[in-house]
Amino acid sequence: MKKSNLFIFISLVGVMVISSSWATEPMQDKTENHVNTNKVLASLNNFEIRADGLACPYCAYGIEKKFKAIKGVKHIDVDLKKGLVKISSEKTVKFSEQQLKTLFSDSGFTYRSIKQVNTNLDESSLDKSNTDEKQ
Amino acid sequence: MEKLIVPQFLKNPQAIRQNFQQVLKLLFGLVVYLVFMSKVFAHDPIFSPGPHVLFKEGIEVHGNVFQAKSGDEKATEFATEFKYGLSGDWVAGVELPYQKRTISDQQFSAVGDISIFTKYRFWRNDTLGRQETAAILAKVKLDTSNNELNSNAVDSIIGLTYGVESIKWYRWASIRQRFNGNINKAQLGNFQRGDITLIDFVIGYRPKLNGYREPDMVYMLELNSEFSQRNKLNGTSLVNSGGKQAFVSPGFMWTLRNMAIKGGVQIPVYSNLNGHQQNSDYRFKLSIEWHL
Repeated sequence: MKKSNLFIFISLVGVMVISSSWATEPMQDKTENHVNTNKVLASLNNFEIRADGLACPYCAYGIEKKFKAIKGVKHIDVDLKKGLVKISSEKTVKFSEQQLKTLFSDSGFTYRSIKQVNTNLDESSLDKSNTDEKQ
Repeated sequence: MEKLIVPQFLKNPQAIRQNFQQVLKLLFGLVVYLVFMSKVFAHDPIFSPGPHVLFKEGIEVHGNVFQAKSGDEKATEFATEFKYGLSGDWVAGVELPYQKRTISDQQFSAVGDISIFTKYRFWRNDTLGRQETAAILAKVKLDTSNNELNSNAVDSIIGLTYGVESIKWYRWASIRQRFNGNINKAQLGNFQRGDITLIDFVIGYRPKLNGYREPDMVYMLELNSEFSQRNKLNGTSLVNSGGKQAFVSPGFMWTLRNMAIKGGVQIPVYSNLNGHQQNSDYRFKLSIEWHL
């Protein structure tokens, strides 16, 4: 391999190693903008959806894309360790079990359960009595 | 764009017979290229296929560059791939390659043959932070380019792949069979390239799990083996063809949300090629992909 190619390859790997190892906790706790964002999110319905098979952030992008296509969904985050997809949506957004099963299946994962995590619970946001964890 | 340079001896049947070793080298390089251009999807290994597919109606744009060097031959390939998620378990795509090849001091370049491919994940077992899957795959390399750097034949690959992905560790295994089409040219006679069996084992390790919107790095180590049958010319097996090779291939996959960069080097650790053939020095691959 040419020395220049080897140098480019090693440099690229180095940059990526450093960027991934320097990644810190999410920024929302540290910046004013995100404090405001959190206030906005508090005015929305927040859901935690348990899903199985979540093993890499890159693969989970399909879930984000599918939820973004739903009108009224404002924010999506994924917690791989806990197998949680966190959704913030307008109060008008309702999810059904079947809709979530299909959405996760189309994304390549398995839907387990949904829980609303608002301080002021609004049960009307759920289509069924599906606020309890199933497993 | 670089002008296509066709080796002069390939235009003359008499010269082909006199330069048969050169023809075999070109064909050997072609086989290396075709083996190397096996499809890579999302969180799959670098040099071998995994069972990963794409979300339904998702689009993946993929750019590859790879280089293979064997003695005085060097092949560099650039390829663009487009994939579409037909369902959460089924993906199909097309690949458009461009090749550059150097043999001794001569340099050739050409647009490669278009390939179409598909993968279907027929089994999936999801648990918390872990996914165990198996898939079948198929690829057909069409005969779309009319130049001497391509095989002028339709080749196909079928394969089976299995993988376990977890937050910390990854494991994959795959087996593929490549069926090479006959090259039936007046100059060459009936030339049959040997079929190839490929068996791969891979482990991957994620040292640190970051947040969903932060960079993620997974290191991989592959063991790639290739078992090539002898080529045949008018039914007669050619001595200087076929054999076995194995590679150890360290690689990485770096991702940031819907973008991924993957790279790795194949280092030959075992080579038992028949007759007089040049052993592989290295193979190198770098790819970038987006999920849209």
